[in-house]
Amino acid sequence: MWSGTISFSLVAIPVQLVKAVKPGRISFRTLHSKDYSPLARRMFCPKQEKIVPPDEIVRGYEIGPDRYIPITDEELESVSPERSRTIEIVEFIDMKEVDPIYYDHPYYLVPLKGGEKAYRLLAEVLRRTNRAGLARFVLAEREYLVAVKSTEGALTLITLHYSEEVLTADGIAPKEGKVAAKEIKRMEKSIKSMMAGFDPGKYADERREKVMNLLKHKMKEQALVEAPAVEEEEGEGPPDLVAALEKIMHDVKKSR
Amino acid sequence: MSGTIWKGYIHFKDTAVPVKLHAAVKEERIQFHLLHRRDHVRLHQQMICAYEKIPVPPEAQAKGFEVEEGKYIIVDPEELEQTTPESSRMIAVHEFVKTKQIDPIFLDRVYYLEPDTDLHTEGYNELVGALQELAVEGICTWTMRKRSYIGALQASGRILRLNTLRYADEVISVKSLELQEIPVSERELKIGCDLINQLTAPFQPQKFENEHQKRLQKLIDKKARGEKVVLLRPRLLQPTASDKLLQALEASLKKAA
Repeated sequence: MWSGTISFSLVAIPVQLVKAVKPGRISFRTLHSKDYSPLARRMFCPKQEKIVPPDEIVRGYEIGPDRYIPITDEELESVSPERSRTIEIVEFIDMKEVDPIYYDHPYYLVPLKGGEKAYRLLAEVLRRTNRAGLARFVLAEREYLVAVKSTEGALTLITLHYSEEVLTADGIAPKEGKVAAKEIKRMEKSIKSMMAGFDPGKYADERREKVMNLLKHKMKEQALVEAPAVEEEEGEGPPDLVAALEKIMHDVKKSR
Repeated sequence: MSGTIWKGYIHFKDTAVPVKLHAAVKEERIQFHLLHRRDHVRLHQQMICAYEKIPVPPEAQAKGFEVEEGKYIIVDPEELEQTTPESSRMIAVHEFVKTKQIDPIFLDRVYYLEPDTDLHTEGYNELVGALQELAVEGICTWTMRKRSYIGALQASGRILRLNTLRYADEVISVKSLELQEIPVSERELKIGCDLINQLTAPFQPQKFENEHQKRLQKLIDKKARGEKVVLLRPRLLQPTASDKLLQALEASLKKAA
């Protein structure tokens, strides 16, 4: 993933961007039904009928049917050269002022060699002041407006939507009408009886549970299929498959 | 206002409020296709067999769950279909929490909720009022497009919104980053805090335009006219050395004052 520097005023910290979110749903592999070999998504040239390796691929902007303007990585980086390797914090904001409608995707930043102390400082200072740094940076063809905040000693980078991407809520609100004060009081009473602290771990994905049960059931009555080895692999002892599945289920449960 | 995505009703205790979901965010960006560098033929994604190295059409594909490396349980699409959550129109509110309590890392996408006037609008304004008054949001679950969602029901101004949340096991823990504890002096922290206070401004997102998008469009136009593009090198910053951190902070503070 991306690596570069995050800076505020005259301090620059070498960092790497890492994932903060992973898909929690059980993932299946798509296999070739003939030989059970896994399939991989590859870019394919319809003219030559062959797989094209990444170093032979270039981005193209369509200007007409089958007419493209190729744009190289170097040209893309050249569009905003000051932002492609640097996350420059231009100002700090109070996170409470940010409407959640702006939040897009979270990542973590981790310090690279030599940046550990300044990283620690920024994370601690953001925690103490309850502020977030606002910055812009460019990744591939997109520029992101981001908020950098502190989470349990780590720096979290949240990409934000641009305000021009936020749709207006015009026409959503009902016409101003009578509001039944008695009805509000009644709802408030219900709400008060249902107050709790936020505990995200409580809400398991129901489907994941069902898929796990389905898999467990199938493990007992159906043999596994094996993909042909693509490269030489060392053999393993006879596997205890139900135990393997139970371990997976255990891990899934534990990570909730 | 965008079109209706889904219809349902908010439910808790003896309250039921019918609503329609609308998108709250729309992203527009320049689209690229992937081309073969040598002749600019547009490439397509294909599922390629790792063993035979050939494209495999959908009718010759199967779904497998990998139990251990290279070993799979084959699952029929019909069987998987049975595990999709039952469709329902209910947005079930399970509990209420104080607003601003949810860490932003959990917050996913926001939808606007419109009262479903085809039925009746009673309850909508009252629910907005109650949520505002108590400064709370409702944690709810519902099923939409064959997926179960968890979300936070919020009041914003005069409308209700649904903010979808990420499931707990989708969020990677800070612990797994294995960050080192590094001592930082109180003096450095004090100057750091002063500096941040100096550089703090109200959040005004409209101040930030997507300049890059406009510049990128210019670059494309330039190339379309056959003009030469000057390549600029990315700016690289020299990292601040640990023993120069205090000095850099002091200089920053001076600059900001």
